[in-house]
Amino acid sequence: MDSLTHSRSIWKKAAPYLLIAPTIVWYGFFWARPVIQAFYGGFFDLNGHFTLDNYKFVFNDPYFLQAIFNTFFIAIVSVAVEFVLAFGLSLLINIRFKGAGVFLFIATIPMALPFVAIAAMWKAGLATYGWLNSFLYHVGLIAKNGKIVFMSGNKWPSIFVIIIIDAWGVIPSMMIILVAGMQNLNEELKEAGYIFGGTRLTVLRKITIPLLKSTITTALILRIISAIQIWAIITLMFGYLRLPTLVSQLVFYSDQRAPADPVYYQRALAYSVIVAIIISSIVILYLKVSGSFRKEENG
Amino acid sequence: MADLKLENLSKRFSRKVWGVKKMDLSVKDKEFLVLLGPSGCGKTTTLRLIAGLEEATTGNILIDGVDITDTPPRKRDISMVFQSYAVWPHMTVYDNIAFALRFKHLSKAEIDSIVTETADMVKIDNLVKRYPDQLSGGQRQRVALARALAVKPKIFLMDEPLSNLDAKLRVVMRTELRAIHQQTKATTVFVTHDQSEAMSMADRIVIMKDGVIVQIGSPDDVYFKSTNVFVAGFIGMPPTNFFTVEIIHEGTDIVLKHPFFELKLDNERKSMLYDYSKRSLTFGIRPEDITITSEKNNLLKERALVVEPQGSLQIIALKIDDKIVKLVSAREHTVFPGDMLFLTFKQNKLHFFDIDTGERIGDL
Ligand SMILES: Nc1ncnc2c1ncn2[C@@H]1O[C@H](COP(=O)(O)OP(=O)(O)O)[C@@H](O)[C@H]1O
Ligand SMILES: [Mg+2]
Repeated sequence: MDSLTHSRSIWKKAAPYLLIAPTIVWYGFFWARPVIQAFYGGFFDLNGHFTLDNYKFVFNDPYFLQAIFNTFFIAIVSVAVEFVLAFGLSLLINIRFKGAGVFLFIATIPMALPFVAIAAMWKAGLATYGWLNSFLYHVGLIAKNGKIVFMSGNKWPSIFVIIIIDAWGVIPSMMIILVAGMQNLNEELKEAGYIFGGTRLTVLRKITIPLLKSTITTALILRIISAIQIWAIITLMFGYLRLPTLVSQLVFYSDQRAPADPVYYQRALAYSVIVAIIISSIVILYLKVSGSFRKEENG
Repeated sequence: MADLKLENLSKRFSRKVWGVKKMDLSVKDKEFLVLLGPSGCGKTTTLRLIAGLEEATTGNILIDGVDITDTPPRKRDISMVFQSYAVWPHMTVYDNIAFALRFKHLSKAEIDSIVTETADMVKIDNLVKRYPDQLSGGQRQRVALARALAVKPKIFLMDEPLSNLDAKLRVVMRTELRAIHQQTKATTVFVTHDQSEAMSMADRIVIMKDGVIVQIGSPDDVYFKSTNVFVAGFIGMPPTNFFTVEIIHEGTDIVLKHPFFELKLDNERKSMLYDYSKRSLTFGIRPEDITITSEKNNLLKERALVVEPQGSLQIIALKIDDKIVKLVSAREHTVFPGDMLFLTFKQNKLHFFDIDTGERIGDL
């Protein structure tokens, strides 16, 4: 009897671990192994000898500081802009006005487009004789000879062009997460807010936003992670090295340089380890600050 | 302290769906008014219109004679207990109750004393530091109640606040809510679909059907003088039994003729049916007004089909002309299924209704 209940409780305790075991094997093979290999590879030269040269190269890379700055500037500004706009649009859709469904559908179209298409579209639009300038001219915002040279390649215009394009492509997915969260809220919680003295703004601040906290956390984390990895759209718009970011440098070295000189492959590995460390620290920091590790409050 | 008036109030949701239609109602100061009706009859819509959560299609809402039809909810001086309670899960009980008070330019000490006082009143004073997910359903409901009481509103609205509680707690809360009302004297509109809840709590009952008021009256009024077949069938448990009969003149007598019985009316009843001679009508009799009698006095006899003992009472179901008829009798003699029963109706408890319109004939 005793041994029976004992063995039963062992099974009970072991069950969750047995259930996640396949996932762990999968991760070990397809995720952890390449990650460890990359980590490991960054510390070796082509002859298999331990070296710190790859990291030295990264830190002495004349583009490294620029890449750090560009990456963070673009990430912070674009995530902030995207969040504010996506949140506003979600509130709008959540009013459930007539045609909200159609609006949501149209707004999500950018999600279906590949980066290449987005880049081509915006390139055409931002060219000196592109549709944006002709639009601005037709609505009378600029003179015929006052065309704005968006694609000049100067640093600040390029950064803002990238932020605008990124926001345009990413807002829909953020909006969908936020709309889903809002539609899950019991409408009466907000209505109680209005009855008990709240204005639209106080209800938003004291009820809607706090209740959406976990949704907002999810949306922001997903966005921050992908914003830090921005590169494809930049490369498609401006090519390599004109607006370097951490990941665009990584790709540049492994894709453009390594075929001719394999040591660049080891250097790209060092880059990727640095990117991975930065992203994980930011995610952990963010989760800590947003209070997601505290259990009780999420009730 | 306040009175509430609804004038020609309507809410149309779409071309075909009316939540409430041309409603006129006045709620007196300090009154405990109950809106009663089956699901979908417009009770919640009425309450939401009063609260300002729904925009009226036509008509006006007045509190103390002041038109508040276009006033936002927060300026209406009302408070509400939602059916889902709508207690905010991210705030402690204390913060839930204090929420509205913080908009009122009160000092911390004043807020604290009001919160303590109301938490006390609904017996959750020991729970104020908890979050709602650490409370039972009944306790959460008390939080919703305290939050609504704390603002000392002119009008107190409650939407089926007891419907999510277990049967026993529900009955306890009825008494408690009435006691709180005695204490606060706040004009109250209480919504329920449960007729026994309405009967036991209301000063007056408003019975609704399909967005329209069917009858307004005291619990006794709606029970003893039901205005139509719908009310007579909705109020009371078990509900009124209905029979379709023909009115036959036999000399100076008037007889209600049914395939299973013939009921000769007394003089008072006769005068009520003066205009209805030689026509059919519906008559109703409540379960407690069908009495078991001896064989020689019987109006009709039938075997008991099902018997539900209820302590000192028993509910007996039998079949007359293929329709289930229920009667309630004392347990002096316990009846068993299959027993032959000799029955008669109390003449002065007969209710007559027009067979076409269902409206009551003659008022007692
Ligand atoms: N937001 C809404 N949109 C459309 N129809 C509604 C809405 N709310 C209620 N109704 C309709 O109005 C009628 C009355 O509903 P309600 O007031 O909720 O009834 P009750 O509270 O008495 O059960 C129902 O037919 C219901 O379907
Ligand atoms: Mg309802």
